[in-house]
Amino acid sequence: MTMDRRTVLGLGGVATAGVVLAPGMTLIAAPPPDKTEASSDQRWAMLIDVNKCDSNCTACTKACRQENNVPLFGDPNRDIHWIRKLEIRDKEHRRPSVSLPVMCNHCENPPCAHVCPTQATFIRKDGIVLVDKHRCIGCRYCMLACPYKARSLVYHETSRNEDSNPEVPIRAKGVVEKCNFCVHLVDDGKQPACVQACRNEGKHAMIFGDLNDPQSEISVKIRTVKTQTIRADLGLKPHVHYEGL
Amino acid sequence: MRSLQSHPLKFTVLLALVWAFVLVLPTMVVASGSGADVTQHSKSAYTGGPPQLENAKGEACIRPSDWMRRNHMDFLKHRRAQTVREGLRIRSESLIKCAECHQSREKFCDQCHNYVGVAPDCFECHSYPK
Repeated sequence: MTMDRRTVLGLGGVATAGVVLAPGMTLIAAPPPDKTEASSDQRWAMLIDVNKCDSNCTACTKACRQENNVPLFGDPNRDIHWIRKLEIRDKEHRRPSVSLPVMCNHCENPPCAHVCPTQATFIRKDGIVLVDKHRCIGCRYCMLACPYKARSLVYHETSRNEDSNPEVPIRAKGVVEKCNFCVHLVDDGKQPACVQACRNEGKHAMIFGDLNDPQSEISVKIRTVKTQTIRADLGLKPHVHYEGL
Repeated sequence: MRSLQSHPLKFTVLLALVWAFVLVLPTMVVASGSGADVTQHSKSAYTGGPPQLENAKGEACIRPSDWMRRNHMDFLKHRRAQTVREGLRIRSESLIKCAECHQSREKFCDQCHNYVGVAPDCFECHSYPK
C-alpha cells in the first residue's frame, strides 16, 4: 500500500497534536541536547522585585560566591563582589529606604566592551556580557568605564579548597571579572545561582528569562508591570530590570 | 721565496700558523677522543625513552590517536575560544568526556608535557574533571 501526500500530512498533524500540551507544561525535564550554542534568538535578562527583597537577606550573594568560587581576600578595598546588596535611602525621608541587589547589568551597549583593548570583554549573541579571562591583560579600563561598579580585579593568588565548585575555574591573578549570569548554568538550561537561591531561600524577588520569548514570565511581567533600569539616562540599555524602585 | 723575503711580515704570519697547527693538532685529537667518551657515557646513562602512557579506559578516542597526538593542543584551544565566545558546548566532546577515559591527569597529560618541557597553564585555574 502506498500513502498519498494528503494521508502522510494528515498523520503528521495527528502526531503533532499528540505531543502538544497545555502551555507551561513539559513532559519530563529533558537533558540539554548534545550541542548547544549561544544564539541571538534569546536575550537573557533579569527582573528584580525590590518590594520583595529583604534588607537582611543575603541568599543571592552567598549563592553567587559559592557557585562561582568568588574569592574573599578580607580587604574591603580589594574584595571581589559579583553581586552586592545596596541600601537606597531618600535623603529627605519622603520614601522608605529600599534594599536591592546590584550586579553586572549586561548592557546592550556595554561601555566595558567598547573600551577593552584586547576584546577580552565582549557581548555574546544572546546578550550576556562576558570576560574572556584568557585574553584579559588586567588594564582595568573596563572598571573605569562601567557605571555600575560591577567589575573587580583579582589582586591576589587564589587556591582551590574542598568547598570550591569544580565546574568553575578559580582565578588567575591580574584579570578583571564580574557577574556572567552563571553562563555555564544558563547554557545547561538552568537558572543563575542567585535566582535559584532567591526562590528557594529568599523571597522570590528575582526572575530570569528570555526577553525574546513573548510567553516567558519575565516578558509578560515587563509588559504588564512598571519596571525601571538603573541609570537608564546613560542609554546603555541594561538588562537587569527593577520593579518598585 | 723571493716574494716572501720581500715581505717579512707575511713570512712571520705563515710561520706562526704552521707552529699553531703543530701545537693544536694533538690537543684536538685528545679532545675529540674524550668527546666521544662523553657521548658514549651519556647514551648509556639515559634509560628514559618517550613516556609510556597508561592504557585509556574507553574503546576509542573521539579523533584518531595519531591526529590527537599532533593536534590536541590546537583542537583544545580552538574549542576553548568557541566555548567562551560563542557559547558552543558539545557535551560528547567536552573535557569531562576526556577524563572518563584518561582518568589521571598526572599519568596522562603531564607525562608528555614534562618530557617535552612544555607547561600549559590550563589547570592552574580549571580543575581536571573527576
